[in-house]
Amino acid sequence: MMKRKLGLVAAATAALVVLAGCSATPPADEGGKDITLWVMGGDTPDALRDYLKTEYASATGGTLTIEQQDWSDALSKLTTALPDPENTPDVVEIGNTWSPTFTSVGAFSDITDLVPELGGDKLLPSFVEIGKVDGANYALPYYFGSRYMFYRKDVWAAAGLEVPTTLSEFSAAAAKLKTDTQSGFYIGGEDWRNGISWIFANGGDLAKKDGDTWKSTLSDPKTIAGLEQLQALYADASLAPVTEADSTPWVNINNNAATGAPEAATIIAPGWAHWSIGDLAPDPKDDTKTIATWNDNVFGTFVLPGVDGGAAPVFAGGSNIAISAASKNQSASRELMKIIFSADYQKMLGQNGLGPANLDYADSLGDDQFAKALVASAADSKLTPAAPGWAAVEGSGLLEEFFGKVNGGGDIKALAAEYDTKIDALING
Amino acid sequence: MSTIAPRRGIRAPYVLIVPAVVILLAGMGYPLIWQFVTSMQEYGLAQQFGKPAPFVGFDNFVTLATDPVLWTVVARSLAFCVLTAAVTLAVGTLLALLMTVVTKTARLILQIALLLAWSMPVVAAMTVWIWLFDRRRGVVNYLLDMIPGVEMNRFDWLSTPLTFFAVASIIVIWMSVPFVAFSIYAGLTQVSDEVLEAAQLDGATGFQRFRHIIAPLIRPVIAIVLLLQLIWDLRVFTQITMLQDAGSKSGDYDLLGTYIYKLGTSSQDFGMASAVSILVLAITIALSWFYIRSLLKEDEA
Amino acid sequence: MTARTRRGLFSALAIIVALAWVFPVYWMVNSAFLPNIILQSFIPTFFPVKATLSNFTGALADGSFFSALGMSVAITLTVVVFCLLFAFLAAIAISRFRFRGRRSFVIAVLIVQMLPAEGLFIAQYKMVASVGLLDSVLGVSVIYIAAVVPFTIWMLRGFVAGIPADLEEAAMVDGLSRFGAFMRITFPLLAPGLVASGVYAFLQAWNEFTVALVLLPSEAAQTLPLWLRGFVQASATRETDWGQVMAASTLVAVPVIIFFLIVQGRLTSGLVAGAVKG
Repeated sequence: MMKRKLGLVAAATAALVVLAGCSATPPADEGGKDITLWVMGGDTPDALRDYLKTEYASATGGTLTIEQQDWSDALSKLTTALPDPENTPDVVEIGNTWSPTFTSVGAFSDITDLVPELGGDKLLPSFVEIGKVDGANYALPYYFGSRYMFYRKDVWAAAGLEVPTTLSEFSAAAAKLKTDTQSGFYIGGEDWRNGISWIFANGGDLAKKDGDTWKSTLSDPKTIAGLEQLQALYADASLAPVTEADSTPWVNINNNAATGAPEAATIIAPGWAHWSIGDLAPDPKDDTKTIATWNDNVFGTFVLPGVDGGAAPVFAGGSNIAISAASKNQSASRELMKIIFSADYQKMLGQNGLGPANLDYADSLGDDQFAKALVASAADSKLTPAAPGWAAVEGSGLLEEFFGKVNGGGDIKALAAEYDTKIDALING
Repeated sequence: MSTIAPRRGIRAPYVLIVPAVVILLAGMGYPLIWQFVTSMQEYGLAQQFGKPAPFVGFDNFVTLATDPVLWTVVARSLAFCVLTAAVTLAVGTLLALLMTVVTKTARLILQIALLLAWSMPVVAAMTVWIWLFDRRRGVVNYLLDMIPGVEMNRFDWLSTPLTFFAVASIIVIWMSVPFVAFSIYAGLTQVSDEVLEAAQLDGATGFQRFRHIIAPLIRPVIAIVLLLQLIWDLRVFTQITMLQDAGSKSGDYDLLGTYIYKLGTSSQDFGMASAVSILVLAITIALSWFYIRSLLKEDEA
Repeated sequence: MTARTRRGLFSALAIIVALAWVFPVYWMVNSAFLPNIILQSFIPTFFPVKATLSNFTGALADGSFFSALGMSVAITLTVVVFCLLFAFLAAIAISRFRFRGRRSFVIAVLIVQMLPAEGLFIAQYKMVASVGLLDSVLGVSVIYIAAVVPFTIWMLRGFVAGIPADLEEAAMVDGLSRFGAFMRITFPLLAPGLVASGVYAFLQAWNEFTVALVLLPSEAAQTLPLWLRGFVQASATRETDWGQVMAASTLVAVPVIIFFLIVQGRLTSGLVAGAVKG
């Protein structure tokens, strides 16, 4: 038996040695032409994917494989595949707020030298900044979106209200519009991605860099001021559950089929939500589906106003894109980046309602009210802190927890102090 | 229990267990060792990308043991697990017994219903259940609201921990009962009719027959089924994650499975996540120790 | 109360329980046939009045269902067959023989299944990637079999233990070989246990999601749960189409239901038990 056991131990050890050998080592560029691009979710339309494949084939003669990853599963796939030279995607789209985390551990290749060719200082600055480490560029913007307000003109007019020009005007109007069955402004209690706009508007931040370390700044007086405003707004204007986070708010602004009235007079939503907002009617092409047709008499948009007028900074959604450091096909990957940042592709992004990375092509978004609201809100938009541990903070659910407790009527100062400590433990990675 | 005493062919049992041992080593060996090693390291995303992982001894465990949040989650998980497993076993046993006393058609209908429920993919089942409990479009609120004097329209089941875990428990029970009922029923079919008839002739009541004849015979099955329910319910994961997606991601709604996942995948602290996993292993062993011992004792007897 | 009325009452109870249990399944199928326009309403629709197949055609449109089906079937069959075989042999060993190391083996098997799986995926990935088996049936199957085998051994051990070895001995006295006695006497008695464990292994392999996600990274290799998940995820520019989700769920459930209907005779009818008892 003893011999048998020893044999097993030896076999296990041998296996471990083999496995240990497969950890990340910087690969040599083997100059392969067939590469893989990971895109997140279905945001990149099929036409754009086909364009990339065709252009890539004619530019390099190689094959581009595009694989779609779901947002909620992406972290575990990125964590396992990116360090593995044999299986890493060559180019990856990542959520903009994840960029610092992956960039700081060396997941991506330094492409500083390529930046001027890809658009240089025309590229959306906040996204470029979040993909930088020590002055070198690793992840660049892919596309951006932004959030603005959708409101029911009919409901607002019936209450004698006009589009607000300051944040406190907005709060007052929203409170006035609340009834037992209708939210003046529909926002979930745990919806921190929209809720942080009130912090930003008051000049606050979620975290600041102090020397070499990041510190959570929920207890900062400006942040507290924003949270107090949000807490009051939620209590006075929203009927949404305190446990609700970022969801599908447009179902509330459209007429409810059962009552014929909307459940919310105002919502905040990403720009693309306008496709889902409007008068509901059966789709003439397929009567099993309802389609919403935008009606300018009933629906309108405005940009969340700032404390002293103007636009409040909102959270900028969107993605960054980078080359995997473990990829064996570095030069081919750089070719793909050139295609993505080409004028043609940037314009195609804009035509599909995605904010192009290169702001020179922002006019490709069109000039309707949605394009204008997108550009106006994006101009002042802000990102989450570029801290190495930010992805961990988001993943931990602490922000949902904190905003939920604030909007649930908790003591803001005590909660802020408590969650500052919790976030500080994660934010530096 | 009767076994064949050791004799010349002593090699036979080793040959018989070789395939199982090999597949266990191949599939679980390395992950298990990795888990133990990592639980004593500082292992985050940087280590995953090739940075050496510093050995920290039992630091991760010390951090855990002194974290009140962990113990809240442990207590919550234990309560959830014991309650859910007990109800599952009780309902499962009753349904298995019910199958033995009904007409053939009724038995078939019940069995097919359970099979259908059992065959539902977890993702699909969760989607349907979340719909059923939806505060606005849910059938549950719709039906409850029809009862005079009950005002359940818009009642949000997922917005307080108590109702959240009640819903979770109902769903888990619904999913687990078919397996328990069928396993126990399969055990019951092994009980010989002749013995039961003989007992009936001797004047034994239904309960006596269950207690003295049926129960001892199906005890191995019940024991293992209960043990498994305890193990599974302690680390229930998919159901809680999907309910959290529909409700709240706040830590108040975490059980051990989601706690580990948040710590590991979401927060990229794999050292700590491994330490919690080891801790869960220890808790499970402690929880089932009595069981394992009695199983072993029975085995040796 | 006569035995007859009692049986009738119990039967009625069984049918009520059956209806309650099957309701969520019914709801899935009902919703799969309902047009989206009705699903969006706040008032539930209990019967598929304006039934449509559009949810199904939509879900099947890009053909990826069939490749995922192929992958799932291959993995599931591999897991069921090898898992039952390995577990069956081991169950015989621990319930019919005494041998040195038996106790350690029993304890190891028990404890292995107590480890939470949520933290293991990095190690599983490294292991499978290092031998080049990502995106393969074999890679995932090895992990699945290892995860399911301990339970199956325990389950079968319970059944083997329930069969008196004297029966075999008696048959051997009657002149059957050891193997013959086993096949003629023990094996048929084990059938319900084998079917129950097989069903369990089947469902685990069919429904598993998190390991498959990491070990089958490419789209061409995805299994049905991964395929189904693709419908549930709303993307930034597209809403979740719930009718399609329910149709896709129904499609994933159908092969399981077919499998169950095939084995249910074995699992439930008196055939097996009757053959022995009679």
